Amino acid sequence: MSNPDTKRETFAAEAIPSDVKTSVFLGNPAVDNLVSCMIAMGTELWATKRRLKVIEAVMAKTGVTPEMIEKYAPTDQERADWERDRDRFIELTLGSLANAGTRGIGSDFPG
Amino acid sequence: MIGRRTLFGAATASVALASVLNTEAAEAAVRAAARAAPAPGDVELRGADGRLERLGTLDLESQQDFTLGFRLMHSKKIRESSFKSFDRVLARNGMDPTTPISRQELIKLVENEPTINIAARTWLANQQVTWKTLQDYFHANADVYLSEMEAADRSGPGTLELNPKMLIPDYARHEIHIQPGGYVGDPFAGHIYHYGTNSFYISVIGHNEQDQVHKRTAERLPIPEDGKVRRILDMGCGSGQMTVALKERFPDAEVWGIDVGGPMVRYAHMRARDLGIGANFAQRLAEDTKFPDGYFDLVTSYIMHHELPADVTRKVIAEAQRVTRPGGVYYPVDFNSGGTKSLPRMMYGRWWDHRWNNEVWSFEYHAMDFTSEIGQRGFTIVKNAQAALPGFGVRHAIRA
Repeated sequence: MSNPDTKRETFAAEAIPSDVKTSVFLGNPAVDNLVSCMIAMGTELWATKRRLKVIEAVMAKTGVTPEMIEKYAPTDQERADWERDRDRFIELTLGSLANAGTRGIGSDFPG
Repeated sequence: MIGRRTLFGAATASVALASVLNTEAAEAAVRAAARAAPAPGDVELRGADGRLERLGTLDLESQQDFTLGFRLMHSKKIRESSFKSFDRVLARNGMDPTTPISRQELIKLVENEPTINIAARTWLANQQVTWKTLQDYFHANADVYLSEMEAADRSGPGTLELNPKMLIPDYARHEIHIQPGGYVGDPFAGHIYHYGTNSFYISVIGHNEQDQVHKRTAERLPIPEDGKVRRILDMGCGSGQMTVALKERFPDAEVWGIDVGGPMVRYAHMRARDLGIGANFAQRLAEDTKFPDGYFDLVTSYIMHHELPADVTRKVIAEAQRVTRPGGVYYPVDFNSGGTKSLPRMMYGRWWDHRWNNEVWSFEYHAMDFTSEIGQRGFTIVKNAQAALPGFGVRHAIRA
């Protein structure tokens, strides 16, 4: 039974779980898991983008128009700060693409 | 967008009008007013979009928006790419795409095909995220939503019967569509199912956020030749959308929705109550409804049978025959059946949906000639009848 932490009557019964979490379609469970992570990441990213759209819409009603946001020119200090943050973001999310995988799971420490 | 509460002021005026003018139009205004009035204990944290209560947070609504969008893209692009890959595999192996082959052969052919399998993995991952985000939200806010249901349990319009001691058959305990907890195992099974299936409708049949598909289906259901529709049964009613649509079409009839899932009928009753619709819901089995012989003029179900083992489907038909009055109509809405020898690509899709979308009983359903089974159990099948849900099976049966 999938129950939240409650002592209240929920009228739920014991279910027979599916085995979907153990499924492998891409030859390697790690690859399957990575793809699942990408879908979940996309969900979160879109939720963030959609929230920004709502914030812009609400701000427009209080006098801050999308055009003002679009045309905003950052100060030199802001530009430098944002570039540093952009580079950190890219390194964190995509930096591992540069890894050269040459050593198998059973390999010894480097001599 | 006009929320139900926005309508409330106008609806109050309509009630006053109805008390003066006892006309049919005025009575309709009273019903509209009942729908517009917020029910006691109704939780609408972010209001409602027509008859669909908005999800409790902007993030959850956006997460569902993403999974809907991904599903639409998947059904147009990724699946198409997978189909092409399937055809290439058949061609590479010198196989004719129009000649049926066994599912074992099919699986062996495609199990190492990246395009087909990335389509499978992404579809499942998206389905999992759809369910998980909903379940996580309702569990995190369980007290609020359990209180809402508790308030609704005890109030009308309409009635609710829960049977916590009912023996739930094993066949109904599976996590159909990989919905966590399935139809019986999560306190919020009704909430999760209702919101999670909106994306299914948009990508497969059409918009259903305002129950459009259920309403159109209910409108198209045939009635007995004598025109008498006093009592209606909706078997396996789930979140109650079809039951509600039937009550809206036949406001003077006694309408019942029954389902094996306690949380399902609980949600169905609460939602009908919030809409001001006086349908009755009970936690009962379709194969053992407890209603008297010949009680109903119209018995239906909405895409329930492909979730049942074949032997249970036969018992349900017999039960429908028992509770339908002579001359009454039995019309179970469900997929076309009677085919497990379809083209290889379709056959693979059907098998995959069965195995990995956890449609545990759908293969048994498709192997059976459902219409013929109904005709063998005391019903006369009407030939050339119209489909209540276009594209699905036509099963207009009259109780002998």
